[in-house]
Amino acid sequence: MESFRERVCLRALLEAQNQDGGWGYRRSSQSAVEPSSWAILALAGAGNLQGAGAAVQNAVNWLRSVQLPDRSWPACAGLPEGCWVTALAGLALYEQGIAEEAARGAADWLCSTWPAEGAVWRRWLNRLTRGQRVVRIDLSLRGWSWTQGTSSWVEPTAVALIFLKRMYAASAPSNVAKRIKLAEAMLYDRMCPSGGWNSGNPQVYGVAGEPLAGPTAWALLALQNYPERQENRQSLEGLVSAASEMRSPGSLAVSELCLAAYGRKISSLPETLEVAYDENRFLGNILVTAWCALALGDPVDWLCWSRAKEHA
Amino acid sequence: MISSENELLPPFRRPVSRVVIRRAERYEADLEEILLETLREFNLPVRGKSVLLKANFVSPDPQKIINTHPAVVAAARESFLRLGAASVLVADGPALERDAEAIVESMRLREFIGPLQDNFVDLNVDAVRRVPLCTHATSLKEMCFPETVLGADFVVSMPKLKTHHWAGVTLSLKNMFGIVPGNCYGWPKNVLHWSGISRAILDINSTLRPNFAIVDGIVGMEGNGPTQGTPKPCGVLVLGDDPVAVDATCARVMGLDPERIEHLSQAALLLGHLQEAKIDQLGEAIARVQTPFEVLANFRKLKIKRP
Repeated sequence: MESFRERVCLRALLEAQNQDGGWGYRRSSQSAVEPSSWAILALAGAGNLQGAGAAVQNAVNWLRSVQLPDRSWPACAGLPEGCWVTALAGLALYEQGIAEEAARGAADWLCSTWPAEGAVWRRWLNRLTRGQRVVRIDLSLRGWSWTQGTSSWVEPTAVALIFLKRMYAASAPSNVAKRIKLAEAMLYDRMCPSGGWNSGNPQVYGVAGEPLAGPTAWALLALQNYPERQENRQSLEGLVSAASEMRSPGSLAVSELCLAAYGRKISSLPETLEVAYDENRFLGNILVTAWCALALGDPVDWLCWSRAKEHA
Repeated sequence: MISSENELLPPFRRPVSRVVIRRAERYEADLEEILLETLREFNLPVRGKSVLLKANFVSPDPQKIINTHPAVVAAARESFLRLGAASVLVADGPALERDAEAIVESMRLREFIGPLQDNFVDLNVDAVRRVPLCTHATSLKEMCFPETVLGADFVVSMPKLKTHHWAGVTLSLKNMFGIVPGNCYGWPKNVLHWSGISRAILDINSTLRPNFAIVDGIVGMEGNGPTQGTPKPCGVLVLGDDPVAVDATCARVMGLDPERIEHLSQAALLLGHLQEAKIDQLGEAIARVQTPFEVLANFRKLKIKRP
């Protein structure tokens, strides 16, 4: 008998693929890089599910076709500027073991692109207004922004780190290694006082920010090389505790992907996701569908590289 | 289509606006009857049309003190259906929390409006289209907007009556930040902050001006809004077809001077009326419902000065 993962999640992905090979955030909507990248990663782990291989190949072709001349990816085909999804597209291509040149281009673009708070005039202005700032973060620690010309935020930084760490493993060139170290420091700086992460404001007007499941999961995945650090342990325990109350499939799935990297899991995940699907059909969200397919499968090496190395 | 450049009129060419304040002390009141009766007074062209209710769903809110209350959303939805709307969708694109389903489930929206997959749209993951901006207060020439918003015949901005730690207040104009799709601009939509919040509010609303505004002021939020403030019972619903006038009235209800709120004073140049003399105030008088809101120290200058 087919599992919920195969019967609902993987089949929904196959059925929702657009003619051009990509996926939209919802069925029949324009192809976009983020859902397409996650659908590739989910279907690549679908074993011998009929049609999965061809779907992945078509999607890889679509992804390559929308890479911009500067080797970044835009959020959707037709947009003129690359953004944070470049890391996801690079990861999806790299993990298929094909289009390595395109994936390397993504890494080069990420390492040459800086968030806007790093500009000299901006740092000078920040120094001048240090006493008046309402958000207490160290602006010298930079990661990656959602869009060009804006500030570093937790999720794009975490996703870029996951990609770069996977791509270069222990042998990153010095410029990449420096960028990784800086971004890791930025993530720790942005952690909420009680542990965990939100979009990137740990404290505003002196009030502690509340962590959110998604940013916490991505940040912990990006920082899985440091499982013994107090920040990781505190954040992980917070996520485990929050997960026991979660009902939303998106948050549950990304939490499970994260916990798997730390050797933990959410009990009764399949049953909870089935109930959530019965209630709201994942709101037709392809991204959530792909995350659920991944969360319900076996832990994947490309997202749990620390544990994979331990087991090896 | 809610955008039209002919809506961009200086105050001297714009007719007097109408804003209605209705008392509603509790969310358990017959909100549908209150809203329906008020909407009928405006004789809105919604029969056979698609209506989009742009609510303000910011973060998970089990206590229902942060987001537009689902009872108000449901009452508005039923009212527009009773006025003959062909369809009424509820939508938002939360700025900080990507998981919109977690937000709407936390406030049990499904129990108020029915199946979410049929009645709710997460604008952050909608298909998008590039649209030239009608004003250029920011340096942006165009923005991507969700097809669901662009395709709606009639858009209603439905904020909660709240202070806001960056913009001073978050009402029907600021609420339109939520139509900017996260899938293009991220969480938060940081390009809007870098462009200047007040200027971005103007560019978004000049391009996609909501047709109507319904503000949930039954319980508002004061202090460190929009998420970490204190609930503020105010007992009002504020409605009107000029979002600037609605926001100006709301500000006055909060004890704030709308002319000192940067984005409202800028919006008054092209988008609607700010001055009390240009607003036909119906229903309750402002003075009878005025409930001064606490604001953060850097917004004390917004408070109405008493003689």
